[in-house]
Amino acid sequence: MAIKPLVTKDFATENLVQLKVYERTGGYTGYKKALEMQPDALVEEVKKSGLRGRGGAGFPTGNKWSFLPKGVYPRYLVCNADESEPGTFKDRYLIEKSPHQVLEGILIASYAIGCNLAFIYIRGEYLPQHDALETAIAEAREAGYIGKNVFGKGYDIDVILHRGAGAYICGEETALLTSLEGYRGEPRLKPPFPAIKGLYGKPTVVNNVETVVNLPHIVNNGADWFKSIGTPTGAGTRVWCMSGHVNRPGNYEVENGTPIRELIEEHGGGVWKNRKLKAFQPGGASMMVLLPEHLDVGLDFDAIAKAGSLAGAGAMVVMDETTCMVDAARRYVKFFHHESCGKCTPCREGTFWMANIFDAMEAGEAKPADIDLLLEIGYGIDGRSFCPLGDASTWFPRSVIKFFRDEFQQHIAEKGCPFKKQPQEAVA
Amino acid sequence: MAAVQTDQVTLTINGQSVTVPKGTLILDAAKKIGIDIPIFCSHPKMAPVAVCRMCLVEVEKLPKLQPACAVYVADGMVVKTTTEQVGKYQKDVLGFLLINHPLDCPICDKGGECPLQDQTYQYGPGASRFDFPKAHFDKSVPLSDKILLDRERCILCWRCTRFSEEISGERELALIQRGTNTIIGTFNDEPAQSNYQGNWTEICPVGALTSRQYRFISRPWDLDRTASICPACSMGCNIQIDARSNRIGRFQSRENVAVDDSWLCDRGRFSFPNFQRQGQERPRVRRNGSLEEVSYEEAIAFTADALKHAGGQVAGWASPADTNEELFLFSRLFREVLKSAHLDHRSGVVADAEPDDIALPIADIERCDQVVVLGGQGVIDAAPVLHLRLFKSERKGVKILKVGVTEGKRALDAIPAEAQAIGILATEADKQAAVDLQAKLAKKVKGSVRRLIVTTGPNGRGAKDLGILPHQGPGYASLNGRAGRGRLQWPGAGVKGLYVHESSPLHGFVPSDAESMWLSTLPLVVFHRFKASPLDEVAHVILPGHAFTEKYGTVTNMEGRVQRIRRGIDAEWVREDWRVLQQVANALGASWAYESVEEITGDLVRELPPYAAVNQEARVLWSEST
Amino acid sequence: MPLAKSTADHIKDLAQRYPSKQSAIIPALWAVQHEQGYVTPEAMAEIAEHLGLPASLIEATASFYSMFLTKPEGRHEVVICVNAPCMLRGADEMTAYLGRALGVRDGGTTADGAITWHSTIECLGACGGAPMMQVDHQFEENLTEERIDAIIERLRQPVAVAAPAPAAASERPKRKAPAPRRTRSES
Repeated sequence: MAIKPLVTKDFATENLVQLKVYERTGGYTGYKKALEMQPDALVEEVKKSGLRGRGGAGFPTGNKWSFLPKGVYPRYLVCNADESEPGTFKDRYLIEKSPHQVLEGILIASYAIGCNLAFIYIRGEYLPQHDALETAIAEAREAGYIGKNVFGKGYDIDVILHRGAGAYICGEETALLTSLEGYRGEPRLKPPFPAIKGLYGKPTVVNNVETVVNLPHIVNNGADWFKSIGTPTGAGTRVWCMSGHVNRPGNYEVENGTPIRELIEEHGGGVWKNRKLKAFQPGGASMMVLLPEHLDVGLDFDAIAKAGSLAGAGAMVVMDETTCMVDAARRYVKFFHHESCGKCTPCREGTFWMANIFDAMEAGEAKPADIDLLLEIGYGIDGRSFCPLGDASTWFPRSVIKFFRDEFQQHIAEKGCPFKKQPQEAVA
Repeated sequence: MAAVQTDQVTLTINGQSVTVPKGTLILDAAKKIGIDIPIFCSHPKMAPVAVCRMCLVEVEKLPKLQPACAVYVADGMVVKTTTEQVGKYQKDVLGFLLINHPLDCPICDKGGECPLQDQTYQYGPGASRFDFPKAHFDKSVPLSDKILLDRERCILCWRCTRFSEEISGERELALIQRGTNTIIGTFNDEPAQSNYQGNWTEICPVGALTSRQYRFISRPWDLDRTASICPACSMGCNIQIDARSNRIGRFQSRENVAVDDSWLCDRGRFSFPNFQRQGQERPRVRRNGSLEEVSYEEAIAFTADALKHAGGQVAGWASPADTNEELFLFSRLFREVLKSAHLDHRSGVVADAEPDDIALPIADIERCDQVVVLGGQGVIDAAPVLHLRLFKSERKGVKILKVGVTEGKRALDAIPAEAQAIGILATEADKQAAVDLQAKLAKKVKGSVRRLIVTTGPNGRGAKDLGILPHQGPGYASLNGRAGRGRLQWPGAGVKGLYVHESSPLHGFVPSDAESMWLSTLPLVVFHRFKASPLDEVAHVILPGHAFTEKYGTVTNMEGRVQRIRRGIDAEWVREDWRVLQQVANALGASWAYESVEEITGDLVRELPPYAAVNQEARVLWSEST
Repeated sequence: MPLAKSTADHIKDLAQRYPSKQSAIIPALWAVQHEQGYVTPEAMAEIAEHLGLPASLIEATASFYSMFLTKPEGRHEVVICVNAPCMLRGADEMTAYLGRALGVRDGGTTADGAITWHSTIECLGACGGAPMMQVDHQFEENLTEERIDAIIERLRQPVAVAAPAPAAASERPKRKAPAPRRTRSES
């Protein structure tokens, strides 16, 4: 399949972070064009484009916008730049390379939904990226893209950049809103959904960084053009964060539907050190493991779901034959335990329990019954937690038990990790 | 069947059909047909949070289990609460809760009335499969001088923190840290200041928040529980007296939505040590300067004799913590038998009581659009649970204006002319200011202006209603120029004898300096009381009486609601106060023949028909206006 | 220690910036940490006062987020990721090396007060450059023992030398909060 970089097409341009350079590449023409349109027409256009939210759930963006109740103002747009899913580093890349593209997307979305105050919630760890956005906002304000009565169109818009402070849970949209309101970043009950009662109790749309960067291109080139890229249910491209045991880890933008094999072998340069592929994860820490037999699955929300995992945030973690799957699962479980907000019982206590068992596995102190106990704990958490964090904490470990139960048994029988006993080189 | 637009929805729970109003939670719909869904975090007075996940149930067509405490019913909904999946999950969530919960039930004050314990027996797993060290936290953290916090027992249901945010609004308790490390606490572990902390212990579904006063006092199954009324102020909060071995262990709340909305203040809740009896006591009379123990018969005869001797020149002071029945007899003893109008229940000067003082019922505060708290914190201090009602009202959109007594003008200016319903709250000491403001507001605004005067003592209102006043008879009747003197004038009024009746140390006769001088010269002081006080020193007769918590009768709260108090503690060797009053009257020539409190209540209602409200524990309505 | 007037004024400004003053809590905590290096109860009480909010709320929020420090640390903060994507590319070995090179255990501060380091399971968003660490919130990727040595040497320089800013940051015209963040003497 042809590679059509879309949101990263100008990333090789030097000094793209500067407003005048960004403008030279066609920057802000989408925003200007959008301002000529009726907001409702803009929403329709995005609906028609088939753009699906890139944050993880893949919900159609235009539909999300159209859920806002009529006539209720103020309403807010919040751009979710709290990228924290282990395996993902694309928001960072998109912001670092072209902060104005992110901003332009936000301005288009804000105009479409009738929002006069937009927020960018960026994770606390992304300080350089925070600063890049801060500079971009200042430049855009100076140039009149942000402010009162933009280009005499009677539209007012301001953007507040808000820095988080270390909490993965804030990537969940309701937790993000709670955090933005100054509280502990705990998720909220839904309903009411943010579209009805979001930030400060007002109608709110939360869009991911990767989602909004598509907007200038959709506006510039039209919905039909966008729809022609990718798959019937997955229009456009996706930036995939490739990490782990590949020769060339990094971010790669590919058209939706591209086979996973192509991403790993061509873009990533294949599995490193001439080793065999053992497994991979197509959606970051949360998502179930897939096997070499799934290499021909297309990179697309629906296709990956059909294969038994989820595309989630678009992270491809590749694991070669030397990988201890128990240890990989242990890291993720400990991550979820660390990041559990503590609001609901199953996630708070369940991740604590799982983390204990995994540590025991690693230390060679686990019992044979612990493998099924992990599955049972997972069953008790998944679908019972308050928000998807708890649910997701169980997906990878359970899928690893499903496909690699023998590794758990080995850990128990050999009272420790069989992989750590191999020569140092093999693990390094 | 034709479709009818209705505010009712019909759903099925475990195969049973139930119809409830729209906006009902599954949990409450189930409760209506006797289906119990286990909960920890859910609380009827607080917004749903669905954090404990104990109440998850199956709802047809929804893939995941749903929290019954947070999901509203819908027409045609099919709910199942007892399926294998739900049962298995209930075991799971209890298993989760128990992995970090200490197994110290045998030494936990909550044991025996602990929802976690009860639900573990009913729904829980037989044994825990968790065999790692539990997370350790501080135990027995003193949150204040009233409350201990055990952070290991806490299951993070958020009830106490939500109380602090949604009910008292003080936001003193908060969640700190996150994940498994989450704890509750005050800012920087500074002592909690709230006057409503005791409620935390009641809503806590485990033994994390316990009362220091009740620590290791009793097991719940050893408690005798008696429904009564709080003795601390005129709010009339409903309480339960929990006693063990005939000693009070604690006061617990007992919901009355019209009065307390299920809460107590700490002043009331922790006031019970004042009512602990220190042992047996016999009547005493003073002979040759010293008090000698005598029988009740002797003491009563002595009293009657001495009162007769004083002629009509006797004064009577009855406490605003006495029951209506006692006050009724007290009033008759003075007015009919002793022919004296020198009656009082007050400690200082207050404006005349009027039926309009109760025109604004407590619960109606929520239905006002503006409420002036004239005297600000002073009003709250007089009846602390009012704050919770005011805060609840404020959350519902009622504008609350707290102004100083002399700042009525500020409230007057702030209230718009189109206001529909205005309330004014003030203490009885500031009643005149309230009446003045009310008059001005009535001229300015279209809507109604009503006041509620906060009286003193659990039956200050009853004492006024029953005419324990020198210038008003029962039912605010005029005395046609035959008024007596009030307490402050007694020292100079040629009074030759004083009869003081009190049953609560919180509302006793505390003499001023001038009164002390006068008392020491008085030929007769009859002290009919529960607990010893400095007044014993000048008393000629001491008639032991029952404490507020030891008697049966009725009291009338600030809004005129007549409620029953009951015997939480038996003190059989003490003769009932009403019986002693009757025997004194009879020794002076009356022929009363009451055999029970109910008979007195009956007579009281015959004399004051509005007091028929007693039968419904309703408010006394003196006229259309109230 | 009371907050500097500039910080206090900044917090008061923050309260005006958002539709709700409560939203200013996290930015205010950042301002405090920037000035004092960590967040004390006294500082939280002061934030509460400036924002007109209960102090318990400030502590509730501050303690939820992992980046707010409650005690003083070294002049520089080094955080190395050990989550799975980094593990796959040798994070454990680099973590062990970092500990040996600094001569202090995970969570500790070097004797000269220059560096506090700790490993983290919270992904820092550089899996493509694993193994990686953040030095005063600047990314250091594709770590090798040699690179770690060079970074440590740089950080051990006397106070005036800060971590080199990355490209994006160096172009910043005006930024209120320059790294390093943990230097108490800066205030």
